Amino acid sequence: MVKFTEEMIEGLRVPGKGGSLVYLCTSSLDGKPNIAAMRFVATHMDDKILIADMFLLKTKMNIKENPEVALAICHPLEEGRWWVFRGKAVDIEYGFPRDFDWYGANATDILNEWGDWNKSEPPDEVPPDIVFPKAAQRGVVVIHVEEAYSIEPGHAGEKIL
Amino acid sequence: MTIKLTERMQAWIEAMGCHLCVATPRGVPYVTLGRYASVTADDEVAFALAQDEFAIISPALTANPWVAFGVSKQGGIRASFQFKGIGRFVNEGPLFTEIAAEAKEVQGIDTYAVLYVKVSEIYCTKPGAEAGQRLDMMDPDAVCNWEKERWKDIPHKKTK
Repeated sequence: MVKFTEEMIEGLRVPGKGGSLVYLCTSSLDGKPNIAAMRFVATHMDDKILIADMFLLKTKMNIKENPEVALAICHPLEEGRWWVFRGKAVDIEYGFPRDFDWYGANATDILNEWGDWNKSEPPDEVPPDIVFPKAAQRGVVVIHVEEAYSIEPGHAGEKIL
Repeated sequence: MTIKLTERMQAWIEAMGCHLCVATPRGVPYVTLGRYASVTADDEVAFALAQDEFAIISPALTANPWVAFGVSKQGGIRASFQFKGIGRFVNEGPLFTEIAAEAKEVQGIDTYAVLYVKVSEIYCTKPGAEAGQRLDMMDPDAVCNWEKERWKDIPHKKTK
């Protein structure tokens, strides 16, 4: 069982609050990879990373057939956030049983706190030519982190969690 | 369809480097950094990898050549694209030495292997209605015009 460091908890927040833009990497069951940048990110408990299900397409399809994911910091890397987290993900969508449990994370708790993420942490820092015109959140992706490794030059591949 | 990375795509890829994602044949993903990137053809990008960066993705890529990559750093938001294609490692010969020399000179990377990715799919990843749109289905000139209607920022390319 892993436990995030304080630096990781600070870094795994929305960019507007000093956090990071992250890349969520998934794969189809037959091995075709997918990488997509995510802005709505948070930690939950000692070992869960949350991502808003907002405009997810291939990422969502992949998670539904294959829970294996990797999440890497995209920006800012230079602040020492050379992290890749690996684990298993589920997309807790509205309509899931409210007592659904994912490695100890409860669907009701997750959706109550992060189910309207655009309202609680609006993307004020996102440039106007990038930001979406209307939020459409369908759920929250919950990643149960099992390990993490570094991608810092000279230390790439070293286990950090 | 013909794939042609636009001038702006090329500039972002080369200026920022990329996050490279591969997966095992059973779908377990791995990520490494391609800190030095060079566009070597309209549809091909070369990444210089140090030995530790190579070791992260080598077992998976050897068994399954698919690579997905997105632009690193600010490019994750400004260059809203995902590129997919077939990758291959080159460890020797002129295709290796040229990229390795550039990577050493520009970024001080001791290149162990060069990953060449032949891009066959380009997706828009701008959040909203266009998220997931396949751009490689369009004519290259149409892609260029589509992009210019949305963004014009082109980062400074690396200098030797």
